[in-house]
Amino acid sequence: MQPAAVYTRDRCVTGIHGLDEILRGGIPYGSTVLASGTCGSGKTTLAMEFLVRGAIAGEACAHFTATEPSVKLLENIRQFEFFDMNMVDTGLINVFDMDVLYSWLGLEKSSFDLDDVHALIKAIVDIVNTIGVTRLVIDSVTTLCYKIKSEQLIRDFLFTLGKKLSTLGCTTILISEITSATENAHWSSFGVEEAIADGIVVMGDVERMGHLLRFLQVVKMRGTSHSRAKHAIELTPIGVMLTPMLKWGAQGDTQSRWGA
Amino acid sequence: MFELDQRIAEQLTEVALNSSVQVRCGNSNAFMVTASTMVPLMQMFEMGGVYISGSRSAMEMIEAFETIGIDVSNIQFIDLVSSGVLGGTTTTRKNIHYVDSPIMLESILLRSLYLLRTTTLERNFVILDSVNALAIYNDDRMLAEYLHTFINTFRQREVLSVILNVPDQTPPLVLSNLDLYCTDLIDRGQVVIH
Repeated sequence: MQPAAVYTRDRCVTGIHGLDEILRGGIPYGSTVLASGTCGSGKTTLAMEFLVRGAIAGEACAHFTATEPSVKLLENIRQFEFFDMNMVDTGLINVFDMDVLYSWLGLEKSSFDLDDVHALIKAIVDIVNTIGVTRLVIDSVTTLCYKIKSEQLIRDFLFTLGKKLSTLGCTTILISEITSATENAHWSSFGVEEAIADGIVVMGDVERMGHLLRFLQVVKMRGTSHSRAKHAIELTPIGVMLTPMLKWGAQGDTQSRWGA
Repeated sequence: MFELDQRIAEQLTEVALNSSVQVRCGNSNAFMVTASTMVPLMQMFEMGGVYISGSRSAMEMIEAFETIGIDVSNIQFIDLVSSGVLGGTTTTRKNIHYVDSPIMLESILLRSLYLLRTTTLERNFVILDSVNALAIYNDDRMLAEYLHTFINTFRQREVLSVILNVPDQTPPLVLSNLDLYCTDLIDRGQVVIH
């Protein structure tokens, strides 16, 4: 007798060495995933590889950057051996400066109200719809949410954006900057992002005798079973590489920290 | 003239590509045993690969190989020693790659995998020099766990792993685990001087 067939959702294969194995095939299509970590943990590199791998597969990808200028970002991804500038020239990879988008929308202000948030959602969704984007990165959602003063508005913004992008079949990575060094830390700056996201990937450093070892851990991913183990990562010219972190090497976890 | 131990070459002819070979040597013959293992792998079996240099700096190892006429320019060296010495990483050799410390065990594994993915050769080896160097910095249980992962990772990828070991200086837990995981043993661990 054969076991009953198990329904599985279609996957967005990230193409990142090891990550698809952790996710048992990739991110469920249309998910909104929070990539949380502090500076130097490899969040942007991971997200850029996600886009470049998508472009190689012929998918249209978009990156909204609020933390560094698009020119600098593109210079940094040239380190990838599999990146080709033609991906940008042919419109497979589209990089947008958030400052330019704010200026275009007349949102050059220190805080956003409800109308501003809706205008921003509409602009992002219009871009995704027009270009046919299937992979999107917002780097970082933390920087963006600093302009949204109410927790309720942040929740509405993320929920509405995620819902609309999912409807369009767009798989999204929201980069979140965290600073906490304790095991009781939140996986997001405002505490609401982690509840709304379909998935959470935490990136940080484990300190081992004075050396920092980068790690990645998938703590949540709706729609798929997945490993929840810590994995050590290396950022290489052929992309992010992962291997399970040594169990005895994680003994200092009480001293581990999610970032420098 | 430097003489290689031909019996090591003979033993290596019986080793499969996905094997893990524990090479036991003594303090006084470590380099001779290492060279006697490297040469047949490179010249008889036309293999390339990765040399993890934890006992001495990669530059020092390369120079030692060159002194006895062995060209190792096609071998990628992962140097675990030089980053701990200020000014130790200033070499221009393109086949030397640095890992900050022997503590970074996962980084050593990932760097090896990365280098193996960039090679064009079909048959490759990874030589770990040595368990004893790693044992200086790492807890016995962690090292035993690491060797288990290390050996199985390369076996799965059909990469020959060669693990150098001075047994009388290896922690008992690590040694017993090594005996258990490795598929082959080349024992030159006891050097008797008459």
